[in-house]
Amino acid sequence: MRLQVHALRLMLISAIMVFALGVLSVQAQEPTTLNVYVDADTNITDWLSNIVAPAFEAANPQYKLNVVIARGGISMEDVITRTMAAQQTGSDPQVDVIEGMDPSGFTQETLDAELWVNFSKDNIPNYDTLNPSVNILPYGLPYRGSQVLIAYDSTQVTEEEVPKTFPDLIAWIKAHPGQFVYCRPDKGGSGGNFVIRAIYEANGDDPSLFTADNYSEDLANQLLPPAWNILSDINADIYQNGSYPAGNLPTLQLLANGSVSMITAWSDQSLQALENGTLPDTIKLTQLTDLPMSGGYVYTAIPVNATHMDGALAFANYYVSLENQQSVIKDIGGFPAIKPDLLPQDLQDLLSAALSDKAPPIWPGGGWSDARNSGWYKNVATTLPATETPAPTVAPTATP
Amino acid sequence: MTPADNITRSKRRNRPKSIASGYLLILPALLLVVLIIVYPAALSVIQTLTTKLDGSTTGFTLEQYTAFFNDPFSVTNLLYTLRVTFMVVGLLFLICFPIALYLRFSHGRLASFIHILALFPLFVPGIVLAFAMIRFTITHGLLATLLSKFGIDQYTSPYLTTTGSIIGLVWEGIPFTTLILSAAMVQIDDSLLESASDVGANIWQVFWHIMLPLIKNAVVIIFALEFLGVIGSYTIPYLLGPAEPEMMGVFMERTYSQVHSPLQAQTQAVITFVIAAIAGYLYVRTVASQQKGEE
Repeated sequence: MRLQVHALRLMLISAIMVFALGVLSVQAQEPTTLNVYVDADTNITDWLSNIVAPAFEAANPQYKLNVVIARGGISMEDVITRTMAAQQTGSDPQVDVIEGMDPSGFTQETLDAELWVNFSKDNIPNYDTLNPSVNILPYGLPYRGSQVLIAYDSTQVTEEEVPKTFPDLIAWIKAHPGQFVYCRPDKGGSGGNFVIRAIYEANGDDPSLFTADNYSEDLANQLLPPAWNILSDINADIYQNGSYPAGNLPTLQLLANGSVSMITAWSDQSLQALENGTLPDTIKLTQLTDLPMSGGYVYTAIPVNATHMDGALAFANYYVSLENQQSVIKDIGGFPAIKPDLLPQDLQDLLSAALSDKAPPIWPGGGWSDARNSGWYKNVATTLPATETPAPTVAPTATP
Repeated sequence: MTPADNITRSKRRNRPKSIASGYLLILPALLLVVLIIVYPAALSVIQTLTTKLDGSTTGFTLEQYTAFFNDPFSVTNLLYTLRVTFMVVGLLFLICFPIALYLRFSHGRLASFIHILALFPLFVPGIVLAFAMIRFTITHGLLATLLSKFGIDQYTSPYLTTTGSIIGLVWEGIPFTTLILSAAMVQIDDSLLESASDVGANIWQVFWHIMLPLIKNAVVIIFALEFLGVIGSYTIPYLLGPAEPEMMGVFMERTYSQVHSPLQAQTQAVITFVIAAIAGYLYVRTVASQQKGEE
């Protein structure tokens, strides 16, 4: 009898132990899923899903990346609003990392709510490797840069013709009607930054006139209209009398198939397209030398209420690691955020050819971007007469 | 008492119970519609009617709406949307009536092939269609290459023009229009048409005086649904249409997410909704009268 109880107890204990071990081992095998929200074109989202995610998971087997693309249907704005709402109610936002932010994405509202984790050496071990000349935001970790360039078909545009300055570019566009195109400024940065460059041109090439906190409707009404004049002046010389594509890639497509011979394009997208042959190698890239077109760094941010804070920080740290920064250059044609001398020599050489010696001006975004997006449609793309004054009406004459 | 009378009687007796269970069945759907459509939409409408242009709230104001109708830019977009919508719906009838008539009177392999061809766009997502259209109609694209083979070199691509939007929207609308039209035409008794031609009516008279009155409801339904579909379209005009003027769907989205003026976007949405509601009313009235006729 005693023996039986003993045996029973032993069996029970071993059963519990086996069960517990099973649960433990399942837990150890099941990696934590990190939700990474990204707002970027397909070249970046593909890179994130197919290259960064496997490499990060190999280096950190306890995590698994779930890349959620916030583009089209759901916008990053919605994601941030949702995260902020979760912060206020204390619920789980199901967001760990927010990726692909530009400085204007960090709205005053989110800063006031202290939504973002501040980065430092303490939470990001690789923090010291960041290039100090890059605009590092306390709450935004820069990890890739890109710049808008001029891409042209070298079989159509001779070496001497290639525009060096903005007035050169305008002159070339006017001399070659239908051969230049840029995309709608709100639909893609390649068009947006061309419009910004026109805004700088209209204001004495002085980017310092536009800052994150000086936007006002009055100032916009004073600084922007001269740019609308420049752009509506070339409207008829744009591809098919002012047919503006709805994005960066459709613009590249028009250049690739020979519909036009010059466009503005993102450095990363065109480098990558040249690399994989979507753009023929007769396409050349150049940058304006008087004042380069805007560009900037893209930032990673972590909300303070991230579901898995440790995982989110580990991912951010991996993002600025030497390994991933080399992938930024090689796989997506981006500019790295770390000190260039840390890179292998061949990559340092490659970069010096692509980077202009002048730092691209930084557009503040926010209200300025809204005014650009609204003003361009109303003054440049529109078929309405530019003047606001109503057409003179013929006074009705009394018939005798 | 015939057995048929018995059935109607028993049906009548069961009615109160079946009505209750009927309401119960639609309750989840009804709740969902109220919660995720009616409630937020009503909030939105109220907001546009109580917010002044400077952002202050007040009892009741039409400032948002007068601002919309005083802005030539917005009005242009609205009129443009209506013009495109009527053109697309008109073209759909023009294209689909011959197809449906052909399918009504022809049988055999070619007819079923054409039937499948007419329904094919139903299975192609709008975004795929848009990119296919770009490739087909772009400068130096397939169409341009084909035309130049026949010596036509003066090709202007409809891509990024109103024509581009219209081509895409018509293509998208063909299957539904053909489907409803041919379904309605199939229901017309052959003997009606034969007797009409026996007494000397020509094809046009048969169509105009016999067929058209019989499929009137189908025509109204197609008009209403295609009107609603086109007036609210987004993907096709976004990718294939011009930057300006914009269809209301594209205009709203841009005003909301690129110009960051949610209230303006809401006002645009309410105005579009009111116009769409007219077509919606037409549809509901037709369906209701049809059901009444069947009872």
